[in-house]
Amino acid sequence: MSLRSPDRRVVFAWAAMTPFIVLFVVFMVYPLIQSAFLALNQTYGPETQIFVGTKNFELLIEDPVFWKAIRNTLIYTLGSLFIQLPLAFGLALVLNSRRLRGRSIYRLIFFSPQLMGLVFVSVLGALAFEKRAGLVNRTLAWITTDASLLEIDWLQSYIMPTLILISLWLYVGFNMIYFLAALQNVDNSLLEAAEIDGAGPLNRLQHVIIPSVRPVATFVVLLSMIGSLQLFELPYILLQGNGGPNNQGLTIVMYLYQNGFELGDLGYASAVGWALALMLIGLALIQIWMVRREEAMR
Amino acid sequence: MRHALTLALLSLRHLSTGVWIIASLFVLSGVTLMFSIERSSDDLEMWVFSPEHEAMYTPMLQQMSEQAGGDIEGKNIELSLLSIPAIKSRMMSGFFGGLPTADMIEVERATVGQVFMGPPEAIGFRDITDRLKAEGLYDQINAPSLSPWSVNGHTYGLPHDVHPVMLAYRADLTEAAGIDLSLATTWDEFFTLLRPMMADKDADGRPDHYPLSMWVTQQDNIELLMLQGGGQLFDAKGIPTLDTQINAELLAEIVSWCAGDQRVATDIDEFSAGGHQARVDGEAIAYLCPDWMCSIWKMHVPGIAGKMKLMPLPAFTPGGRRTSVRGGTMLGFPKTSEEFDQAWDTAIELYTSPEIARVLYRKVDIISPIRSLWDDPVYGEPDPFFMDQPKGLMFIDLAPEIPIRSSSPYNYNAVLEIRDAAINMLNRSQDSSGEVSLSSLIEQAKRELERAQSAIERQMTRNAFTGVDSQ
Repeated sequence: MSLRSPDRRVVFAWAAMTPFIVLFVVFMVYPLIQSAFLALNQTYGPETQIFVGTKNFELLIEDPVFWKAIRNTLIYTLGSLFIQLPLAFGLALVLNSRRLRGRSIYRLIFFSPQLMGLVFVSVLGALAFEKRAGLVNRTLAWITTDASLLEIDWLQSYIMPTLILISLWLYVGFNMIYFLAALQNVDNSLLEAAEIDGAGPLNRLQHVIIPSVRPVATFVVLLSMIGSLQLFELPYILLQGNGGPNNQGLTIVMYLYQNGFELGDLGYASAVGWALALMLIGLALIQIWMVRREEAMR
Repeated sequence: MRHALTLALLSLRHLSTGVWIIASLFVLSGVTLMFSIERSSDDLEMWVFSPEHEAMYTPMLQQMSEQAGGDIEGKNIELSLLSIPAIKSRMMSGFFGGLPTADMIEVERATVGQVFMGPPEAIGFRDITDRLKAEGLYDQINAPSLSPWSVNGHTYGLPHDVHPVMLAYRADLTEAAGIDLSLATTWDEFFTLLRPMMADKDADGRPDHYPLSMWVTQQDNIELLMLQGGGQLFDAKGIPTLDTQINAELLAEIVSWCAGDQRVATDIDEFSAGGHQARVDGEAIAYLCPDWMCSIWKMHVPGIAGKMKLMPLPAFTPGGRRTSVRGGTMLGFPKTSEEFDQAWDTAIELYTSPEIARVLYRKVDIISPIRSLWDDPVYGEPDPFFMDQPKGLMFIDLAPEIPIRSSSPYNYNAVLEIRDAAINMLNRSQDSSGEVSLSSLIEQAKRELERAQSAIERQMTRNAFTGVDSQ
């Protein structure tokens, strides 16, 4: 019997899939089921549990800290979508221009924070935004010659803007690469045709370039949204493990971590996790619906 | 079934070389890991988070080992230096899973709350109360130093330190200004004495010196001051008591130091380079100084050596407490350790050793909680950093007076709530121009503390193991 026989092919297919299925069941399906079960329990670590039914979800709905975490996470997400992505697209447009000299160097410069890694960037960000000695305050004070600007306490009073600014530094270059790749695939004949038809740069951008990069933009938006909603490391390092004054920097995943791994209440943390999962699913469905509606209208 | 298995095995022939290399590496590394022995079962293991502690214990443990003919009652001792987060995660993973950790673990106060979060039977450390009493150690240890490690009268850790707090001040500046700060016995007197030094002689629009380095964002200092003034965040049963009158009055007074035209405190970071430079520049005259802070300054701010002096904290009210407490470490014995007796003997050797206590003081300025060691001449040695004051004896005089602290697992969260209350009060006072009255701050503090109290109660109600729900 050769590998071409249907029996062998089925067996080979299963044999090839087995490692994935085992890993998928052990690390995805089982934790998913277990977390649903845990969400119905009050726990102190995995060994000590009390069944509490839906109490964790009821408490979650009444928990102002949870809503604060949602609010903060959404602000960050909006910051990512409406500041970071347009900036990344703008940079990609500039760096796609053939008239610009040293494009490769600029690309490397903008992408380089990604090479350093999130933790290192977070530490550098904390130093840059430090009160008095930080680069940001020193620069502001030098430009304006106003020494009182040295006293701005970014990490105490303006946590969310600081997080958004640091994440700009970190992710703009990363998202720029996606947009740049998409721009390089825009059909030149379309651009030339539009130019011959008298379309100016703005018209070409609106009617040729943006529709061409739309699939990539959709992907980048989805990726940024999911990444933003899962924000953890950056505020965790900047704020040294807690949410900062009045929980201004607390995100949903930080709250999950605090409950599950610092307080040992895996049940409540699982409830937070499910709330986050439902949010992500909801947002993804909305986005899919919007894309399909737009495609249907075209 | 057999046929299918044969087919599956035959299909393996089609796998590429790369797959076989990866599979071989997988098997090889698995086997290597299985047979690699990290430590012998004869070893005692101790985890510490402080490099200074490791440096102190290593020669002592070697000496103990040599005296016992190569080992201690058949045991070698392995000392591991781990970061605080690493100790916390390894320790809690062990406790949660009932798995072995180390035989002795040094735990910092901010970390230990999690250990007491679950039901009493799930506390991962042994109850050492009876052992301490049986060996007469209970009475030898500075009594308030046991409180952060005790729950309902049961002690789960051997205290490593006392950490009393004094006021460290720039004596070079006060003496040049002709001010004798030792005359100040209350905070009011202290600020009154130092107000003339706030004059803006260099005309940069800011006072030349602020009397005190303290700010509403520094939660540890707020807790320290509230404890000094007799405030408590939890009662002896662990019930939150944030919204009391005394807490409101203390918080209002502390915030008043940072607010309005009468502001007397400034925000200097305690551990950053910028903060160290501000100390050298004399931006603030005085600093809240637990014993361990002295060694940090000696290491990072040598520019103030010989310019500082220590004095007891000014009291909130005449005749009130002149010290407080900040930080702390305990040595715990996990229940999963099978070598408790040997671990205990080793721990007692280390923690009651006069040599270790001397090194602890000389290297990191920390005084021992063992009262019988307080007679050691090392504590009377003049310290040139503090203008030759006998710093050790000064801290020891205050050690029995340090406030009792709660071991509640919610203490850290309560302190953060108090900090947020203070920040909100300060922000509100900055929105209103002019002088901020203490009475209006007290009213604000009451409202903020009620909010903080409900936040902590809500967290505790969620914990079915604390039993707060039923109370």
